Amino acid sequence: MRRWSTGSMILVALAAAAASAVVSRSVTRDTGEATVAAARTADGTPDFSGIWQANNEANWDLQAHEARPGAITQQGVYPYAYARVPAAPVLALGAAGGVPASIGVVEGDGEIPYTPEAAAIRKENGEHWVDRDPELKCYLPGIPRAMYMPYPVQILQSANKINMAFAFTSTARTIHLDKVEEPPDDTYMGHSVGRWEGDTLVVDVTRFNGKNWFDRAGNFHSDALHLVERFTPISRDAIRYEVTIEDPKVFTRPWRISMPLYRRLEPAMELLEYRCIEFVEEFLFGNLRKQQLVKRWEGETMIIDITRKVPTGDKLYEWYRR
Amino acid sequence: MRTRLLTVVGVAVVIAAVAVFARLARTDVAGQSPAPAPQAGPASLPAEAATAAEAGETPWGDPDLQGLWSYDLEVPLQRPARYGNREFFTDEERAALDKERAEILGESDRRYSPGTEQDVGGAYNAAIFTTHKPVGRRTSLIVDPPDGKIPPLTPEAQKKRAEIRAFQVALLQATDVCKNNLPGCSGGKYGPPSPRRAEAPPHYLTVAAAGGPGGGGGIINRSDNPEDRNLGERCMAAVLPDFGGNTGFFLQIIQSPGAVSIFYDTGQGQGWQRVIPVTANPHLPSHVRQWWGNSRGRWDGKTLVVDVTNFSPKTYFQGSYENLHLVERWTRLDTNTIEYAVTIEDPTTWTRPWTVKQEYNKQNDYANRHYKEPRCHEGNYGMVGLLAGARAEERAFADGRGPDPATKCTAGCGGFAAGFGDSGEDSNPLTR
Amino acid sequence: MRIRLNGSMISVAIAAAVVGAAISASVTQSAGQASRPGQVAGRPNLSGIWQANNEAHWDVQAHAARAGAVTQPGVYPLEYARVAAAPVVALGAAGGVPASLGVVEGDGEIPYTPEALAIKKENAEHWIDRDPELKCYLPGIPRAMYMPYPFEITQSTNKIHMAYAFATTARTIHLDQVDPPPTDTWMGHSVGRWEGDTLVVDVTSFNDKTWFDRAGNFHSDGLHLVERFTLATPDVIQYEVTIEDPKVFARSWRMAMPLYRRMEPNMQLLEYRCTEFAEEFLYGHVRKEQLVKRWEGETMIVDITRKVPPGDKFYEWFRK
Repeated sequence: MRRWSTGSMILVALAAAAASAVVSRSVTRDTGEATVAAARTADGTPDFSGIWQANNEANWDLQAHEARPGAITQQGVYPYAYARVPAAPVLALGAAGGVPASIGVVEGDGEIPYTPEAAAIRKENGEHWVDRDPELKCYLPGIPRAMYMPYPVQILQSANKINMAFAFTSTARTIHLDKVEEPPDDTYMGHSVGRWEGDTLVVDVTRFNGKNWFDRAGNFHSDALHLVERFTPISRDAIRYEVTIEDPKVFTRPWRISMPLYRRLEPAMELLEYRCIEFVEEFLFGNLRKQQLVKRWEGETMIIDITRKVPTGDKLYEWYRR
Repeated sequence: MRTRLLTVVGVAVVIAAVAVFARLARTDVAGQSPAPAPQAGPASLPAEAATAAEAGETPWGDPDLQGLWSYDLEVPLQRPARYGNREFFTDEERAALDKERAEILGESDRRYSPGTEQDVGGAYNAAIFTTHKPVGRRTSLIVDPPDGKIPPLTPEAQKKRAEIRAFQVALLQATDVCKNNLPGCSGGKYGPPSPRRAEAPPHYLTVAAAGGPGGGGGIINRSDNPEDRNLGERCMAAVLPDFGGNTGFFLQIIQSPGAVSIFYDTGQGQGWQRVIPVTANPHLPSHVRQWWGNSRGRWDGKTLVVDVTNFSPKTYFQGSYENLHLVERWTRLDTNTIEYAVTIEDPTTWTRPWTVKQEYNKQNDYANRHYKEPRCHEGNYGMVGLLAGARAEERAFADGRGPDPATKCTAGCGGFAAGFGDSGEDSNPLTR
Repeated sequence: MRIRLNGSMISVAIAAAVVGAAISASVTQSAGQASRPGQVAGRPNLSGIWQANNEAHWDVQAHAARAGAVTQPGVYPLEYARVAAAPVVALGAAGGVPASLGVVEGDGEIPYTPEALAIKKENAEHWIDRDPELKCYLPGIPRAMYMPYPFEITQSTNKIHMAYAFATTARTIHLDQVDPPPTDTWMGHSVGRWEGDTLVVDVTSFNDKTWFDRAGNFHSDGLHLVERFTLATPDVIQYEVTIEDPKVFARSWRMAMPLYRRMEPNMQLLEYRCTEFAEEFLYGHVRKEQLVKRWEGETMIVDITRKVPPGDKFYEWFRK
């Protein structure tokens, strides 16, 4: 019998190890586990057509945070920030009215680099959420917020346009892959111009009017907002969505958020309406009805009474502009 | 011998190693997969797409309806009786109509009695509606029935309309509209403020726009609640079917396999959008209702046929509510024209179906003249003013400082015929 | 030169193959969490952090959007014209209920007996006082599977553990033999087995205290579930559950939905420890001094009055 040198045996061992790594890898992948590759259009670019939805807590607050007892809180029996309790507007919802914890979507150190003046405004926004968050008024939500609100988004990808239709207030935006003139005015949803870099759809969004927030925590921007979004397929059913956010009037430097977007996989999934303009009429105009409509609710352990007030003078109109 | 063995083994190791690393690289995350990366640059479509475009097809082989389209012709919904069963005007008739309309609109000294509510309404019109769309080829949007008229209402629909009308005129009873026997009061009569002013309307009223006097739609003369005002004032005027109304509209159509999206830039900031699934799947369950119904599309040759059901009871279209059923047909006739046809039926409202046809013109995609920000709601000071003003009038009346608000008119008053007179030879010849 | 197979070559090759498999197992990755084998003891590995991405927690049946989680009549006395009620009116559009295609299979109906249907309607009308979720009570199965909070599956050979962010609760699926629990439970008793690549779980020993959703859909202690978990892709579980409860439903019925892996690279399960959050809701009416009383915004003021139900009703409220 020929004796094998140690060197040969080592080489054979390495070859076998490598070969088995390949084999066992394909075995693990082939037990129904193969990641499904991204769908592609006829010209080879990834095809993002379909209905998508974020599955995270970003719309509550982009930054990492613990769970909170309520969307609105007040001081509890202790004067500590970590011992607050749900406030009157949400108390009746019990545990359904809290804010879930989040690992956050802000990259890097997780901080949002506000200028000192802007940080003060953001803090005020957070304290006056009910009166100031445009989402509550069912106003057009802007970008990027519309991408991660808890409602689905339908993407229709054509050769030179990509349309995104949002269930929330039935709004939409078009991403132009071809050349078009700029819009004549600033907008809530921005002006989106896209191009492909390899498998990534890169979208430049400008011409914002500065009236939107990023989340329910009061994070905001000005009309100088400039976004660069990147949509990259992770698989057929997941997109990596990254946004570089720049706004020299509000932030000291650009910053980034990123998150997966997931395809809604129910068979026969379609976009349904969340036409909230009608739903918010009581919220918006209930204080101007001839007779107050929503006044009182009585449960077994609590009664809620609503009193409406009309801000005086110009403040009446300013409230709608927030 | 040893050298050759080592060589063989070495090659095997290298091959295996390459295989391992290639698999690792391919299955790792995010944008690093080494797939081919053709650049679909903005100026030129890839070769296959260009050929498909010439054939009027998308790159995946569906008929191509995409782009910006506009509808900017003046065509009345119903055909004036004097045109009988004729579907089209002659060129001479169109020119004559344009001339007559221009002359009426140009009359700057036509006024209602100065200081009346109709005079104020007329002034608003004269300032706003200074230009109008040119008369189109069609004598009416309705092409079937052959007389171009909405079919008769069923008895059930007539009863509902009569109940709404009775409520409308009750709320106008104490106003000048009835005192002066204007068309807005037809079916009613002048009298003291009606006790019905404190009632909820007999049916859920969601009329799209103020419209002309009388009507049967159901705008009511009251501002107790936002729900009293018409959908335009509530910034929810977008309805399906949408024929462009006073202002015409721009459409943006973007397709992808299995879906067609249409954004309607319509009205004054009242735009809306829909995505039509192209599928054989059944409609939503019948208890799930939507403002714009539920659409199901399919391709029939070059035509997109869309079946729309599941309308909400809050829908109002010419007297039809939740039983509205549409069958739309979108066909690209040529590079620059889409024909839109819709058959409208509701056996609980009309005695037979009726069909509307329109032609839309291709617009310059580069100019991108398409306003996708229906921001009516974000700036709805009108609603705030209507409500706050009504509350102020009530307080003034209670303090003895102002007239009874019940004698004032804020809807159905007349004078709002888009720059034309409400009736007679100064009215719009297309609806006269 | 001929290469001759011999014993030492074979054993070297086998040893190397084992090493290779170990290397590949530790290297297998899908986007998201730390390295995780695709299989555990030859079965698809369901381990990881998952979350439903639908509207089932509001109402498992298909429904149009609603103005509020709680509504009241608007200016019209019509069902479709209700408005957001006082408990949610301050939340504006954030307080509504999104539309849903529903997750109930077949005709989409839940086959209640007539008596049970009446109870379901009452449940919906008294949502705030009766839905155990609001009290941060244990949510039960299947509800915990589709609440809007993530959960983590840890799969071993004879046990599969599911840990839920909501109320930091959990359940164990026993793949081996264990004695049944001595009494009925909120989260049920789960016994699992593999049928090919599908995990089939039989859940019994429920009490009657949990709901299926926020719409009042409920069950009795006769509830029996058969769940099926199948990996459709490495990042999607197709979840189906057959529901049987002869005291409440005229026949069995099914729900089905995808569950999606939370694919953030650094995802971890965080707490939604709502027991504390719900204290004001649960006990605020028996504090010495009322704590949450009033909130004032620019266009509305919300005043809370607490009341203590008389006699036994006080205790019954906690049992609902």
